[in-house]
This record gives sequence, structure tokens and C-alpha cells, in this order.
Amino acid sequence: MRLTPELTIFSVFLILAAVAIGTLVAIASAAHGPAVEQAAVQKSGYRLRRVWFRGLAISAVVAFLLSLPAFPYRTRSQLASSLHHPVTALQFAFVIPPVLPVDTPIVLDVTATDVNHGVGIYDPDGRIVAQVQAMPGYTNPLQLVFKKPGQYLVLCMEYCGIAHHLMRATFEVR
Amino acid sequence: MSDTIETLARPAHREVTSDRTAKRVMWLYIGPGLILVGAMVIAGLGLRMAQGGMHTFQPGLFYSLMTLHGSAMMVGMALCGMGLLWYLFAQEGPLNPTTAVVACALILIGAVLVAISVLVGGFGAAWTFLYPLPFVGTYWPSWATGVFLAGIACVVLGWTIWCLQMLGGVLTRYGGLRGAFAWDLVWSPSKFAKSGQTPPPPQAFAVLVSAVDGLLAGSAGMLVGVALFVRWLDPTLPLDPLWVKNLTYIFGHTLANLTIYMPLAAVYVALPRYTHHRHWHTSAVLAVAWWATLVFVAIAYFHHLYMDFAQPRAVQYIGEAASYLAAFPPAVVTVFGGALLVYRSGFRWTLGSMFLYVGMIGWVVGGIGALLDVTVAFNIYFHNTLWVVAHFHTYLLEGALLFVLGWVFHCLEERSGIVSSRAVRTLIGLGVFGGGAWLLLGWYLAGAQGVPRRYALQPAPGTDISWWASLGGIILVVGLIMCGIEAIRLARRPAHREVPAA
Repeated sequence: MRLTPELTIFSVFLILAAVAIGTLVAIASAAHGPAVEQAAVQKSGYRLRRVWFRGLAISAVVAFLLSLPAFPYRTRSQLASSLHHPVTALQFAFVIPPVLPVDTPIVLDVTATDVNHGVGIYDPDGRIVAQVQAMPGYTNPLQLVFKKPGQYLVLCMEYCGIAHHLMRATFEVR
Repeated sequence: MSDTIETLARPAHREVTSDRTAKRVMWLYIGPGLILVGAMVIAGLGLRMAQGGMHTFQPGLFYSLMTLHGSAMMVGMALCGMGLLWYLFAQEGPLNPTTAVVACALILIGAVLVAISVLVGGFGAAWTFLYPLPFVGTYWPSWATGVFLAGIACVVLGWTIWCLQMLGGVLTRYGGLRGAFAWDLVWSPSKFAKSGQTPPPPQAFAVLVSAVDGLLAGSAGMLVGVALFVRWLDPTLPLDPLWVKNLTYIFGHTLANLTIYMPLAAVYVALPRYTHHRHWHTSAVLAVAWWATLVFVAIAYFHHLYMDFAQPRAVQYIGEAASYLAAFPPAVVTVFGGALLVYRSGFRWTLGSMFLYVGMIGWVVGGIGALLDVTVAFNIYFHNTLWVVAHFHTYLLEGALLFVLGWVFHCLEERSGIVSSRAVRTLIGLGVFGGGAWLLLGWYLAGAQGVPRRYALQPAPGTDISWWASLGGIILVVGLIMCGIEAIRLARRPAHREVPAA
């Protein structure tokens, strides 16, 4: 199993969860035994809480700022310079160009004709590289650059009916 | 160290609903709620096993059962939280039991209609019934859509009546919004202290926030329900899918969140009773935390629409910020406060206290999974994959449900005067927490590898992971069955006023 960005996030989750579980279990293990007055515990506890709050607040602000460049929303002028390709989703198929260019900024103009669908794009290694919803009456412009040549798979990411799990398409990047 | 569970001190000077009546109303909600949850856990396991290739469901049956699983689980968990909060608030002020019974009856009628639409009609648009899916390219008859929408309308109506009753109760009891929100405690603490007033107890904030956000969610649900019902009657009616999607998620996201916040009140009330004379009091920090919860739970739903680029861009940023901020009250106040309350408190471990405490752990772990998912940079990978299923099952199965079970066992322990043996606690703990963690890990792992959610047949490596995860699910179900047997054993014991040492 290759360590992709998603599996790295999974590892981060496991570490954070282990720390949280470990801390709360340690507190639980100190729960029985001789009782200490609540006021005595609160005094140091509230001091710790202030530190915890500040630490969390700083982490949240940093995470928010770091995530901003990854927001996939583009202005009209940002989209204008890329080549646009229409993608249409319908029960239970995608209409998508069979060949798309590698290492070139492109925009997929994604829409649907019947119900809501999701366009999940998987690279030749089976990694999800981009996704966007396909909604009737709206066009969602997805800007992306395919880094790897090869065959890409598209899966439906929004439940759309009885053959939702069969709704897929492929295209070539070269 | 105290060897007894402190019983609820009922205020003698206030007019309150009789304890017997309040308990009857509580069980009227929690009984059917737990039956629904239990049945849907079994149904969910069946779906998971089908995804793992252990048996076969035809896609139509799979998606219909998936719809029933989601809808009935939401209703079941909501009923449990509603009954619990109703009982706890009835200790504070008078509540009309007839109104509560009417609300409960409407919700149960709604649940029956939903069950008919799914089991007889084969309705399968998922519990989120995202427009235009209930009307276009369906594999079920049109009448099933109508019955499903009527069922949802009954549920929302019952929910709204409950919210109005609780809001009325809390405003009357604590002197309007100013008193209920503990405004003076926060902004004029010395004046408030001198006035000799006492703020509402912590559980009253759970009532207030559930009622206010519940009314918001109920209004959105009713609006979208009526719009879809009219669309069902008149197929030419044009509806904007993005508008409907926003309303659907205001309703669904908020209701799902409230199913966690409602039973949290049990932690405030019951957890201190297992300590040596410790109390969970209302502070200005706790009040502000609940104000924050009120706001952020209501607007965090935008993260469900990150991949809808047609949404106004500002709300996408608000969605991420609000989702982060929604984590602060639990992390800094409730769970931190709970841990502080328990720490070196001479705590008594029983089945009830174990569930309440581990429920907080499950809530935190699910919250970590959720925080990663609401970060847009990661949501690009995780949106509508099994990661989503993983985190909400973490805080529903190993959080909210444990709060409910903790409260139920607390009541049974208090009534029977006995607590379960250490061996029983260990066995149930292994089943419910061990099996649960195993089951959940499968969803996280598959989600991290991009396996989409809501697939009758999953692409690789989904099927293999589902097979292994199903084994955890089986262990979880065994744990829950043991839990049910232990609950029946305690319930059959004669009522006892004094609780012996563990």
C-alpha cells in the first residue's frame, strides 16, 4: 500500500485519535481511588483549559489559512485562460471527452440533465484526484491539471438511483 | 468515598411534572427510539455484509434498506434524545404530558409511513431524498414517494411541537431569552451574583439549543417537504435544485447534530452522580459555549455543499470556519469539563457511567474525523466517500447512542439498586467498543482510499475492507444484544431505593 496524501491524512487521524483516547483513558484510570476536592482540581484544570483553548484557537486559524489555497473555487477571469471541456452526468452515465491533455490547465464544465450526481476522478493508480458535484440547471467549473498520462476513471459520488454503483466512465490523458 | 449513586434532587418549591408521569413520557420516547435504533443497527449490518460480499442484496433492495436505515436511525436517535431531555426538564418546570404524547405519536405515525413507503413501495431515494431524485428515474411507484414525504412531514410536525413545548418551558422557567441564555451571568457577573439569582442548570442549555436550532431545522424540513409534496402533486412545478439542497442539509445536518447534543444532557446530570460530591454547574464559559453551539451548528451545514461550485463563494469559507468553531464548545468546555469532573473524583464505574464516559471519547474521535473532512483541502478527497460514513457513525454509535445507553443504565441502576458485575461490564465493553472500533476503522480506511459511499457493490478495495469490517459489526451487535439482556435483567428487579456498593 503506497502512502498517498489521503493515507497520510488517515495516519494523522489515527495519531490524533490515539492521543485523545490515551488522554481520556489516563484520566479515567485516575478517576477512582482517593477523591480530591473539586475546587482543588478545578484550579489547575481551568489554568490548563486556557492553554488548551489558546492552542486550539491558534491551530484552527493556522489550519484555516493553510487550507485557503486549496479551495477549488475560481473566478471567471481565472477560468478564462484554460481550455473548457463539457462534462454531462445522467442516470447512469457520463458524457466526457475521451481524451484530455496532460500537464495543461483545463476546466471541466460539469452539469447534469436529470438528478444530482458527483464526478469523482481517479488517476491511473486508483487515487482520487478531484471531484465536483453535477447538478441539473447549474454548471460547476472544475479547474485541474492532469500530472500523469494514462487511463483515468470517473465514478459517481452522489447517490442517484438503482444503478448508482455502476455509473462510471473512463478517459485517456496524454 | 460515596458508595451510592446520588439521586435526582427534585425541587420542592417549584411546580414540576410528577416524576411518575415524567418517567412514563420519557420511556414512551426512549422505548420505541431504542427499538428503532436496534432494528436499524441490524439492518445496517446486513447492508455492510452485503457490501463485503457475505450475502447478496439486489441493488433495489439495498438502496431501499439504506433509505430505511438512515431515516429510521435519525428518528430513533431523535426520539431517545427528546425523551431524555423532556424528562430532565420536567424536573425543572411543568411540562404538559399530553402535548409530548401527541408529538411522539405524530413522529411514530411518520416512522410507520416511511416504513410503508420503503418496505411496501420500495422507496429508495436515501434519507436525504435529494431533489429531483425522488421523482426522476425511480425504481419505485409514485405513491411511495408521496407516502414517504407524508411520513417526513409527520415526523417534522411532531418534532416542531416538541421544540415549541421545550422552548416555551425553558423561557417560562428562566424568565425569557435573557434568563435562559444566562445573559446577565456572562455580561454582569457581579451584579448577577449579588441579585441572588441562579443560572439555568447545564442541561437547560441543551434544551434551549435543541429547541431553537430544532425549530430552524424543522422549518427548513417543512418548507422543503411541502415544496416536494406540491411537486409530487404537480410534476410541472419547477424547483431550484440548489435551493432545495441547501434546505435539505439545513434540515438533515442540524437534526443529525442535535441527536448528539440532546443526549449530552445525560452527561451533565448523571456523570456527577458517580463522583464523590462533585457537581456540574453553569459558568459563564459554559453559557458562552452553548451560545457558540447554537450559532455554529446551524451554519456549519455549508460543508455539505463544498463540491457545489455554484454556491456563493463566501458561504464555502463560512462553512469551513463555522465547522472548526463548532468543535470548540465540546473540546474546550464539555469534554474537558467532563474529564475534569471525573479526574481523581473517587469515581464509581458502572455500566451507566462507563457508557457516559466512553461516549465522550467517541464524540471526540468522531469530531477529529469530521474536522479533517470539513477542511476543504481534504474534502476534495473525502467528500461522499466512506470517510463521511466513518465519522458520523463514530459519534452516533460510539457517542450519542452511548449517552442514551448510559442514561438508561443509570436509571435502571438507580431503580434496581444494583450494578452490573465487572465481568459483564468487560464483556459488553469489548463488544460495543471493540467491535464498534473495528467496524468504524473499516470505513475510515476505505474512505482514505477513495471508496465512494452508498454503493451496493463497491470498487476495490471496498469489498475486502467491508468483509473485514463486517466482523467488527457482528461483534458490536453481540455486545448490544448483551447490553439489552442486561437491561432487561436490571429492569425486572424490584424497585429499590438504596444503591449498594459496587
